[in-house]
Amino acid sequence: MKTLRPIFIFLSLALAGSSAFALEPVPWNNKDYAAEFKYFMEGAAFTPETWAALGPKEQESSLLEAKQPALERQQAMKNYYAAAMKKWDTASLRDYTSKTKEPDIKAVDLWLGKAKGAAFARKLAVTSSTLRKARREGLSKEESLALEPYLQPEAIEELLAVKAAAEALKKQAAPEALKGPDSKSTASLNKFAGPDPSKLGADSFAKLYDNMNASGADPVVAGRGQYAAGAAHTGAAVQYTSPQKKAAFTMPEVKSAPAAGAVPAGNAKSTALTSDAYGITVYTSGAQQPLTFRKGEDAVAAIRRLPDGSITKVIFYGHGGPGLQTVGAFDVDADTARDILKGKMARGGVVQYSGCNTASIGGMTLNPAVGLSMVARRLLYFSIPYFQDRMSGTPAEQAKQQWEKGWNADLARDTSLNLRGAVVCGYRTFGLVPGRLPGVTALMGNQEATTPGYVAGKKACYQDGKEVPAP
Amino acid sequence: MTDLNYILEAVLLLAAPLVPVIAGHMLRRKFPQQIALGEGTEPVPMTGARKLGRWAGNILFWGGILGILFMIVVVLNFKGRI
Repeated sequence: MKTLRPIFIFLSLALAGSSAFALEPVPWNNKDYAAEFKYFMEGAAFTPETWAALGPKEQESSLLEAKQPALERQQAMKNYYAAAMKKWDTASLRDYTSKTKEPDIKAVDLWLGKAKGAAFARKLAVTSSTLRKARREGLSKEESLALEPYLQPEAIEELLAVKAAAEALKKQAAPEALKGPDSKSTASLNKFAGPDPSKLGADSFAKLYDNMNASGADPVVAGRGQYAAGAAHTGAAVQYTSPQKKAAFTMPEVKSAPAAGAVPAGNAKSTALTSDAYGITVYTSGAQQPLTFRKGEDAVAAIRRLPDGSITKVIFYGHGGPGLQTVGAFDVDADTARDILKGKMARGGVVQYSGCNTASIGGMTLNPAVGLSMVARRLLYFSIPYFQDRMSGTPAEQAKQQWEKGWNADLARDTSLNLRGAVVCGYRTFGLVPGRLPGVTALMGNQEATTPGYVAGKKACYQDGKEVPAP
Repeated sequence: MTDLNYILEAVLLLAAPLVPVIAGHMLRRKFPQQIALGEGTEPVPMTGARKLGRWAGNILFWGGILGILFMIVVVLNFKGRI
């Protein structure tokens, strides 16, 4: 028995060792492989499900392949963030505010943490809005103080000087200034044909001057690191695409007058047969007339300039669908609405989505028109896309999950959860606007109406996620 | 099986607007405005129940037609035509 004891000990050690050294699956987002998993997430190479479906061997080889590029990407993001958080000069200010997009902020958020992502986003938001304000109406000394943590003193001085330039341009735009000396030589200047100088960016100037495309230093961009999905399975090398350099920055436009976003309501007379009505209408406390906009971007800029808690009602008018409202080319979902309106709504202020199906279908109904609308919604937003997905080879379960979730989305309720205190209304049904009907549009002369008139549809309103009576 | 369920559901949903039209049509045939018993005979006067049946048939039939038109408008709206 004594001779067998070492064998038992050896065997038990071997068993313990083998289990210790055996490859175990690595859980998704394991802290030991933080950089690699961030790299996978950024390139959308794997999802937790597809990762879990891999064998331990494949997981290990994927992690091994991604290690080097992930570390490089992490370092690149650190450098990007360090540069971005330095105090900017004027060129960097223009560069970052015009070229930095949502994915860049998300990349910082992913690689360096939420706090740094938020700090970067805050810097961009403050500097962008101040730059816009400086261009439109100039900056006061007090407002420029808020820029001190972000900009070099010279850049702040230049921003303060923009006001004087804008005023000079305004004076030039005044009719008496436009008249000028009455002579033949100056009259012929009016016939100068060419693009609007304010629309010429620095690129165009450079091209005009030396036929080259560059204009200034290359901007710093976060770029995208991409893990070549599937390479891990075949054993091919991981491909890291270096951040793509974007085109050189364009000179910000200096406008001679404030943005022409506000369209007077009565200006949209038209004889067109069919409707092209959409727009955003903003009612503010204390103002006699609402502000109306055709372009979403103009509305967003105007809303940002409004004081907090000043909007009593805002109407998004256009086409709607479950979870999304469009206003021309501008899309509004619950997150966008939060970004635009957070803090700006008065207590009990109303957000009205005037678009079809912007609320869920709700409960049972005896109204046949509402019933037919529900039928149409299910067919158009579930049945048709489901069968389209199936025909293109998507598995039934996946297609089912995707469309069952989406067809009855409730944009109004989701928005009310994002904008606490505000009453958010949408339509449970397809909303029919008589003014949009072909012919009626011509009769009423409102082809480009920005505010809806009567809307036939079942309205639903929410406050903090709970249904409330329509105000 | 999932596909079959959804095909059946789609068929039923598509048939929904036609149901009142068909029911109305059947009621209108069952309760015609005049019943002729033969040549030279007086038409049978409409009783209250027959009038009600005819009236229900008319409502279902024309309501159903309106429903189908409504669906067409909804689809045109969905496609961004109106």
